[in-house]
Amino acid sequence: MPLCVDIPIKEVQRYMGYHGIAEVTPDMQERINKAIDQVGTQSHPRIILKEFAIEVAERTVVIHAESENLVLESESLARNLSGCLRAILLAATIGPSCDMLVRRASVTSAADAAIYQAAGAAAIEAFLDSENDRLKREYEKDNLYLRPRFSPGYGDLKLDHQKDWFRLLDISKQIGIELTDSLLMVPTKSVTAIIGIGGDVRPSGCSGCKDCNMHGKCEFSSEKG
Amino acid sequence: MGLRERLGKEWLFCDGGTGSILQKLGLKGGELPELWNLNRPDDIKNLNKGYFDAGSNIVNTNTFGANRFKFDNVPEIVAAAVKLCQQARKEAGREDDAYVAIDVGPTGKLLEPMGDLAFNDAVEVFKEIIKAGAEAGGDVVVIETMSDSYEAKAAVVAAHEVCDLPVIVTMVYDETGKLLTGGGVEGTVAMLEGLKVDAIGINCGFGPKQMLPIAERLVKCCSLPIVVNPNAGLPRTENGQTVYDVDPEEFAEIMGEIAKLGVHVMGGCCGTTPDHISTMIKTVKALPFTEPKTKNFTYVTSFADCVEIGRKPVVIGERINPTGKKKLQQALRDNNIDYLLTEALNQEAAGADILDVNVGLPEIDEPVMMESVVLKIQSITNLPLQLDTTDIEALERGLRIYNGKPMVNSVNGKIENIEAVMPLVAKYGGVLVGLPLDEDGIPATSEGRLAVAKRIYEAADKYGIPRKDIVIDGLAMTISSDPDSAIATLDTVKGVRDIYNGHSILGVSNISFGLPARELINSYFLAMAMQNGLSCAIINPCNGPMMASVRSFNALMNLDPKLEEFIGAYSDYVPGSGVAASSGAKASSASTNAVLTLAEAIERGVTGRAAEAMKEQLDSGRDSLEIIDAELIPALDRVGKGYEAGTVFLPQLLMSADAAKAAFAVVKEAMSDKPRNIKGRVILATVKGDIHDIGKNIVKVMLENYGYDVIDLGKDVPPETIVDCAIENNIEVVGLSALMTTTVASMEDTIKLLREKKPGTKVVVGGAVMTQEYADKIGADAYAKDAMGTVRYCDSVFGV
Repeated sequence: MPLCVDIPIKEVQRYMGYHGIAEVTPDMQERINKAIDQVGTQSHPRIILKEFAIEVAERTVVIHAESENLVLESESLARNLSGCLRAILLAATIGPSCDMLVRRASVTSAADAAIYQAAGAAAIEAFLDSENDRLKREYEKDNLYLRPRFSPGYGDLKLDHQKDWFRLLDISKQIGIELTDSLLMVPTKSVTAIIGIGGDVRPSGCSGCKDCNMHGKCEFSSEKG
Repeated sequence: MGLRERLGKEWLFCDGGTGSILQKLGLKGGELPELWNLNRPDDIKNLNKGYFDAGSNIVNTNTFGANRFKFDNVPEIVAAAVKLCQQARKEAGREDDAYVAIDVGPTGKLLEPMGDLAFNDAVEVFKEIIKAGAEAGGDVVVIETMSDSYEAKAAVVAAHEVCDLPVIVTMVYDETGKLLTGGGVEGTVAMLEGLKVDAIGINCGFGPKQMLPIAERLVKCCSLPIVVNPNAGLPRTENGQTVYDVDPEEFAEIMGEIAKLGVHVMGGCCGTTPDHISTMIKTVKALPFTEPKTKNFTYVTSFADCVEIGRKPVVIGERINPTGKKKLQQALRDNNIDYLLTEALNQEAAGADILDVNVGLPEIDEPVMMESVVLKIQSITNLPLQLDTTDIEALERGLRIYNGKPMVNSVNGKIENIEAVMPLVAKYGGVLVGLPLDEDGIPATSEGRLAVAKRIYEAADKYGIPRKDIVIDGLAMTISSDPDSAIATLDTVKGVRDIYNGHSILGVSNISFGLPARELINSYFLAMAMQNGLSCAIINPCNGPMMASVRSFNALMNLDPKLEEFIGAYSDYVPGSGVAASSGAKASSASTNAVLTLAEAIERGVTGRAAEAMKEQLDSGRDSLEIIDAELIPALDRVGKGYEAGTVFLPQLLMSADAAKAAFAVVKEAMSDKPRNIKGRVILATVKGDIHDIGKNIVKVMLENYGYDVIDLGKDVPPETIVDCAIENNIEVVGLSALMTTTVASMEDTIKLLREKKPGTKVVVGGAVMTQEYADKIGADAYAKDAMGTVRYCDSVFGV
């Protein structure tokens, strides 16, 4: 079966907590390969995106949608989008298969469950990255430059805004993600985000870790130690 | 005339889009359109009237999203919508030939196990809507835009439980004919036909052109009237308004093409207008109408898979059945569902098509167990299930929450049994196994059995269960007590095929009870039965000769295209060994590990060798506790310390944990008759609202390895459940996990309730966003940063 998502092994290992210090044993490598193969072939990546005019102030961002003006109160998002007049709202998922693979692995092996989990995380990120690159190239033709993706729950942008994303993009119907009462997305390997469209190139591709609510305790952080 | 009498007899037409029309009238984003039933009734009435005027026979009320997750006055909103639609019909002068359809859309929530809405709660949500609509005078229930077959089932069950109105169900498929949850057209149709809906169809998703191939598939497999309601093509934004790219003329033209395929009810969805509908009606009405044709497929389905019975022998895995299986009996008594799930996965890997599920033990609450086991198994495998029970309540509980169309094992020829089982199968759908025995016992001859089978078919007719959904059991009984028994069984199987053109099933291994070398007799008998027309074999798919018999038969009878399955299974077969060489390959890699000691095997995470080394030590007469204390725990400790020091990484720790678990399982089995020595009992749960359980599961494995008895309450667990369980089992330590900041609140609620109802209980918390600071704030006794941290904490509490 063809791979629906190209999942980089290095990323899977990173999500599993390897930092290049410990050795990846052949047995482990075989398990990782199997997980990548299964998650890769059984996933069904879908994305929905829509461009909106936006207005950025110091602490707020207003999204001008067809029939409403959505106000997002967030200093960190405003910083991320400063200077942008338009932005892309998006939602993406690799579908429900990965969740089932993790459940199956959990029955027999905690190690496999963690590996499938990591493969799924790497898969949705890889899918988003490739979509992001595609958008970047398209916009650069018009001399427009994309800001780093920013998601509800990052920094001081409240997770409650998930509901707004779901409404504006009709996410449930379009690509089959649903929100639980506690604002979690299912399938779990799903992402919502906003990408600012700016007229200039920003020096850093990444807003860094300071806006993240895992700042200071994240085991993946490049700013650690 | 009633709608039910007209469906499938003449062209009928649904209405079209709602959203885009209401947006033009000023509906704001985020504003709930159903509120207009109360605030702007004239606009809604005119919307309905537009479609009655256009010629629609079935016009939906404005109740698509009218559920209790969005409104606290659902009955009022639904009743108002029905009244408006009725007025519109009257004003349009269509009272004689048009119907008010109670429109039911998805809840916007995902059902368990993927999401957080329990099946029976979903049924209640739908009941509220449909009951209100029926009481207000709706004529038909239209369940539409469903992308999850499970949710559609909940809505259909609800409709049938609150009213007798006709039920139409239309689903949303993607371009490949799959639902978002993975099911295909054929399986979904089989499930809905089993649930006895009145018409089945597709709506939304895309325009008529893309819908054509899916309509084609629907026509091929569906015996009921077929409904097709596409969008007006694809949406795009023009001057701030959403517009669709297929105009009424083009829409009508393609709908004409679809009509010719042999569909029966046509309408539109997003972006279609009364213009689209009236133009389409003109085109379609001019075309000849063909009535639905009954199809002769027998499908058993899960949420994703669809197994056809009758095309080639179907393998039904028999391992999840406690009869004669001590370990499974113990697992059921211990509520060790993981053992059953492992059996499910093993049988799937061995090539089973369907899994038999029997959880009947005298000391167990079978209905509760059946429901919980079916839910768990269908969350980890695509294979359809065969619900195997003599307990009628257990059967109903299983049928209700099953996601698909299951097999049911079984009904027999006794009047009392027929009256108990058949109404349930008629209600929920299922392929029913009929045992040809009755009040006079088991007929000795095939003639006698075929006569009872005939009465079972006739009873099925009476209950509206199609004959194609009956599978007759040939009743294999051991040849060691009755030398003619195999002959009688084979003749019965043959008779079912030749006389009734029906399907048959056998519990194959019964034939050899009491004999040595049972797999020899069993596999030959199976081959003979298949040659006599056997449709389904209940066997152990993990038994090599049995699967060899099935695969060889399929290869010989041209039922295995390109011999792919046979070659795939036996390409490395070792002649004379009787097994595929793949298991031999495992043995050789194991032999390179054979030198590892128990401690080494655990440290390196070699599961198979760890179990083997443990067995060797036990066989040599060493005391199990001594092995655990001297080798197993120290090995695990070394890995754990490495993990804490950052030299060993999580997956390695987990592999060691898996290996230790396997070694423990060997001890547990050896000591199954002796009391276990446990350090203490601990409850683990992921708190309400949170569905992440990997971290919690890791903690569970580690705690068990360190000698704790863990009560795992799962994920999304309400505070009350945790507290009740702690009180009931007098638990000292409760471990709570939460991944998200939003669910830490329910952690706090749980701790508060514990403090109130069972003071003194220690609470240890963990999870991605958790910190010592958070833990202190919500009143936990301890914060564990990882699984080892939880083990250390429990050791400190229990003083070990």
